[in-house]
Amino acid sequence: MKLVRHFAMGTAVAAVVAGWSGAASAQEVLTAWFTKGFYKGEDDALLAVVDKFQKATGVKVELSLYATEDCVTKSVGAVDAGTPPDVGFCTTYDFRTTGKWAYDGKLEDVSDVLEPLKSELQPMALSTTFLMNGKTGKKSYYAFPVEQQMMHITYWKDMLEEAGFKEADIPKTWNGYWDFWCDKVQGSLRAKGKRIYGIGHPMGIAASDTFYSFLTFANAYNAKVVDENGKIVLDQPENKKAMVEAVKSYANIFQRGCTPPSSVNWLDPDNNVAFHNRTTVATHNATISIAGKHMDDMNNASLTAEQRAQAKKNYEDNIRTAEFPLKADGSKMTNLAAVKTAVIFADAKNKKRAKEFMAFFMKDENLRPFVEGSAGRWVPTTLKAIEAPFWSDGKDPHRAVVYKQYKDGTVPFQFVYNYNFTTVNAENVWAKAVNRVVQDKIPAEQAVDEMIARIKQIAGS
Amino acid sequence: MSTAAMTAPISAPREDKSGFTRDRAVWGAIMLAPYVLVFAVMVVYPVAYGLWLGLNWNSYRALFADPIFIRTVVNTIIFLFVAVNLKFLIALLLSGFFVQQRAWIRIVLVLFILPWAVPSIPTILSFRVMLNPENGMVNQQLFQWFGVMEGPGWLTDPTLAFVCSIFVHIWKSLPFWTLILITGRLAIAQDLYEAASVDGANRWQQFRFITWPSLATLYVTSTMLSMIWTLGDFNSVYLLTGGGPGDLNHVLATLGIRYMRNNNLDLGIASIIVAMPLILPMVFVMVKRLSKGAEA
Repeated sequence: MKLVRHFAMGTAVAAVVAGWSGAASAQEVLTAWFTKGFYKGEDDALLAVVDKFQKATGVKVELSLYATEDCVTKSVGAVDAGTPPDVGFCTTYDFRTTGKWAYDGKLEDVSDVLEPLKSELQPMALSTTFLMNGKTGKKSYYAFPVEQQMMHITYWKDMLEEAGFKEADIPKTWNGYWDFWCDKVQGSLRAKGKRIYGIGHPMGIAASDTFYSFLTFANAYNAKVVDENGKIVLDQPENKKAMVEAVKSYANIFQRGCTPPSSVNWLDPDNNVAFHNRTTVATHNATISIAGKHMDDMNNASLTAEQRAQAKKNYEDNIRTAEFPLKADGSKMTNLAAVKTAVIFADAKNKKRAKEFMAFFMKDENLRPFVEGSAGRWVPTTLKAIEAPFWSDGKDPHRAVVYKQYKDGTVPFQFVYNYNFTTVNAENVWAKAVNRVVQDKIPAEQAVDEMIARIKQIAGS
Repeated sequence: MSTAAMTAPISAPREDKSGFTRDRAVWGAIMLAPYVLVFAVMVVYPVAYGLWLGLNWNSYRALFADPIFIRTVVNTIIFLFVAVNLKFLIALLLSGFFVQQRAWIRIVLVLFILPWAVPSIPTILSFRVMLNPENGMVNQQLFQWFGVMEGPGWLTDPTLAFVCSIFVHIWKSLPFWTLILITGRLAIAQDLYEAASVDGANRWQQFRFITWPSLATLYVTSTMLSMIWTLGDFNSVYLLTGGGPGDLNHVLATLGIRYMRNNNLDLGIASIIVAMPLILPMVFVMVKRLSKGAEA
């Protein structure tokens, strides 16, 4: 009898479990891979969007958050294996994969989702998602412009004052600007016996900071690399000449000993670290993450009251975010923007829901908290969000500068027009040319000739 | 027992022409199967898959077109020649020192072995930190003791960085090869030295006519093995300089990773396979030498 009772009980439990799992498997699932945010606010905002979407649709969103490098590596592997998630948003997709995936037909055309949103998006940001599909031979919208970044100068105001200068002393002209940090500021601190460098100047081949910074220098000399059809125009005499000047200018900061020698081996975090350690007075950096670190510290309950107070002082008084100086020809500097793209994969299992999710995510009330959760590290791509007080009220000393740069206008990277430039950047032909001048002591003209030859090998003519 | 009885089959009806019973053959196959399976999965498949991936001729064209490749090949040859020869010369000398049976030398030997015994990553990264031009211990001390504002660019000057990579490689692997040569020296009969000493041979003559002839085979075999390992040494270069500055100090072992980091698996595989013509003859000669040794 006891045996019969146990058997009946077991059968009942098995039936419940089977029924439950059957119900679970019946629920529609959407898989999404995102880069884990730098700040808790980003992840909280994303989880809130996911929660709202789940409640509104009854679709379960299986969200995975990955570290920056893991996110893209895992995505590339999954796409190659034909098992991608439905939605992917990694903050290095734009630099590394979006254009190539679109060209290879690995992405879903999302024009039907983006078209209704077009009027709400910043035109330049939107233009970076209008990509060529090599299989159809046509351009279309293959990605969502979620957020973007720009290049800024960051400096220690207190170190500048220690060197005997005021902010008003900083020149606005291109050469005068770099001479100021290298000769005057560094020179003055060295005269006081301090082993400090004027500028943290990324030179490492493996750092995306290096090609971002270098291409900003190339813009300062109006060195055009490709046209809007993706054709290489760098070999045209005026562009080549401008590129030679850009290489000379970039190399010169290292050659005159104005950046830490280790900057030739720097990876992306290293200029931040040198700045935080006060080894350098100024640096150029994509995003305002350097200042953001101090803002994060000033709100970090695990730090002591003194540490929080110092971080607050650093954020509000000691650290300055600034624009680049005027171009070499005296005109206004061009802000190179990297637009971070989310995608729906062509091999995704649930493309219909993926489009619904992205349409939901891109709504201002959902996207804005996500972007603002990054504490200014990422800039909005929607016209409405950038006008929100978070950016436009001028109360935050760092975001106010970012807002001004945004309003001055932005331009995209070359890889938007020719996806092979993701490889050019990954190989960092720019840093290689600079290093040839600096390390192998060859003339800049020869380094640029090599650069052009290599670009043509990688990206076609 | 008669001869006929001794040669009688255990199971006559199952005997085949070669004299093996079917049962024994089946059991042999069953016993061998796990090994064959593991060998196929762990050795044959990965190697074959790697070679298959490396069959894309466009990859080799792209590889030879990359300006960094020729430089890498030259770097690899220099690294191989200098590191292996210097390492074995020093190991030979040190083995002569450590073979002495004194208590304090044994303690020093234990300390000497440590670099080889501890994991590569923390030790090589500690060198990287120490040699950092700004904050590293070495240049900080030069600044504090001698007021040298800009110390040597240990890892930022291409030549110095390459020398440092070779130094770290030697530092890391020297203890192992010194131990091998110590065992070789310990195998030499002491009678020979005593007899030579009685005959008036000096230290150099003892080395030349007793030690070296006894060690030569071990020395050459070890050198070849070390060449194969040095060719595949990724840690010393990658952890110390990342192949930098400016991609100027790559060796073949690190170049592949550089390509793979750039999502270019084909070129990564090709850059590793191009070392095969160098490795395979060495492996062949090594195996031949070891077989001869085993036969002897």
